Amino acid sequence: MLTASGLTKKYGSQTALDGVAFELSPGEVLAVIGPNGAGKTTLIKCLVGLVKFHGKVTIDGIDVAKDGRAARAKIGYLPQNPALHAEMTVSETALFYADLKRVSVGRAREAVEAAGLAEHADKRVGALSGGMRQRLALALALLADPPVLIFDEPVAGLDITARLELRGLVLDQRAAGKAVLLSTHWLEDVPYIADRALVLDRGRTSYLGAAADFASVTAPLSRLYLRLNGRTPDAVGLIEQIAPGGLIDRTGDWLVVSCRASDKARVVEHLVVSGVHVLDFRVEDSPVDGASFRHAEGGR
Amino acid sequence: MRETSVILRKELRDAFRSRWLLAFAATFAVLALTLSLVQGSSGDLGAQGFNRTTAGLINLCLLLVPLLALVLGAGAIAGERERGTLATLLSQPISPAQLVLGKYFGLVLAVWMALALGFGAAGMLMALVSPVTDVTHYMLFVVLSAVLAAAMLSVGLLISVFSDGRLKALSVAIVVWFLLVLLYDLGAVGLALSVSSSGRSLLLVVLGNPIEAVRILAIMSLESDLDILGPLGSYVTNEVGRGTGVALLSAALAAWIAVPLAATLHFAASRDA
Repeated sequence: MLTASGLTKKYGSQTALDGVAFELSPGEVLAVIGPNGAGKTTLIKCLVGLVKFHGKVTIDGIDVAKDGRAARAKIGYLPQNPALHAEMTVSETALFYADLKRVSVGRAREAVEAAGLAEHADKRVGALSGGMRQRLALALALLADPPVLIFDEPVAGLDITARLELRGLVLDQRAAGKAVLLSTHWLEDVPYIADRALVLDRGRTSYLGAAADFASVTAPLSRLYLRLNGRTPDAVGLIEQIAPGGLIDRTGDWLVVSCRASDKARVVEHLVVSGVHVLDFRVEDSPVDGASFRHAEGGR
Repeated sequence: MRETSVILRKELRDAFRSRWLLAFAATFAVLALTLSLVQGSSGDLGAQGFNRTTAGLINLCLLLVPLLALVLGAGAIAGERERGTLATLLSQPISPAQLVLGKYFGLVLAVWMALALGFGAAGMLMALVSPVTDVTHYMLFVVLSAVLAAAMLSVGLLISVFSDGRLKALSVAIVVWFLLVLLYDLGAVGLALSVSSSGRSLLLVVLGNPIEAVRILAIMSLESDLDILGPLGSYVTNEVGRGTGVALLSAALAAWIAVPLAATLHFAASRDA
């Protein structure tokens, strides 16, 4: 459904993408992973035909460089920061993009309703909250029921509920036979939603294979904030047993533990079982960083 | 074609929504009526009313219409690029050429509507209070203003496609307006006269500036004797012929519409969104 070969993009003397190649089949989800600046957004812009590139991209057999308009008719694209015309209302926006995509007025109204924006139909897009704008942009991407969906960092800035909803949507689209490519720098999502992973590191492919295998060789990190009721020195020793190599620090009342994401639940469990009273805890999932990628490369 | 028409309709809606179209229509009407009233109070209104008003309007419109069209054209693509909506539009099933053409024709139609509304309303009011004998010249002047707007929108769009931001595009547009409206007379015409004072070189200089071409065409439509144009008038009358002169100037205006637009289409297709 989507093939890319020898995809190279240079901005002046800087190479943003260097010979990236992959295929994406119907009913498959490919996660494009990499830290900021790895080339994820550039790759997606090439696939959509928004920038010139060397190499070849085809969507359902249509060469994006030669007939971008026809290729884009088969793509639903959700950009990282959807930019819509602020002065248009939600309803006008849906009708305008429906017209461009040759979709009926009825379908455009359905899309607005499905996005939960029916009561905001007459509101200017500029007056919508960030989450509502994201929902509208997603509705527009799905408007023509395209066979290929391309989402650029769709979970960035979303709360956990919206993130889970998006996971569900991606899985539904996969079940409907759509080819889905999404970029993310949150590794934790990958095994849940993707069949395969493409890791970019400074514009080059550092991993392309099963998402499950990728997750097993990478080390997504979590930062665990623990507020304990006494016995902190004991707790530090217990944590070191469970999460060897993890960094332990203190910030006020909080003990800060940086460890593998896969170890975080065991840390809390071990403390509780050992009689350390955990008053409160918070978790931050770290985005992908260079260290994780070197790990991935080493694990190929 | 369909995609071009979708963009065109959006440009027209935007023009009405932002009210600039109505504001410019009102400006054109007020200009025409003020000039007409001023000439009426000096006793000139009457059979020559339309002709006098037209002659007065030419100089004002040769300043105002290019400025309006250059600024609107320059903001068209650069503004979309600055807001990020250019990438959103170009990620749809539409080619850069269709987007550019939709924007161009949308803006042309909007400016033409402003000209028609403004000068049309003023013309009707003038006709109510004075004998209508020279409506043709007045209408020809409105048509020439419309052609000039189309040419300047084309140049504005070319500026826009090269500009990363709206402010930069507007700055360049104002510099271009200043060059064409004010410096061209001093520079190119002065240079041509210093090298050779022949009517031929003056005609070539006029063809190189759409504003000058419109000015000469307007004068040719108003004046039966072209001596008012000096060596250029003599050259057109004696060497080229009035009809060929009009054809040459019209062709130059057509080129001023087509060439920048073609260049815009080329660069829009080759530039990253």
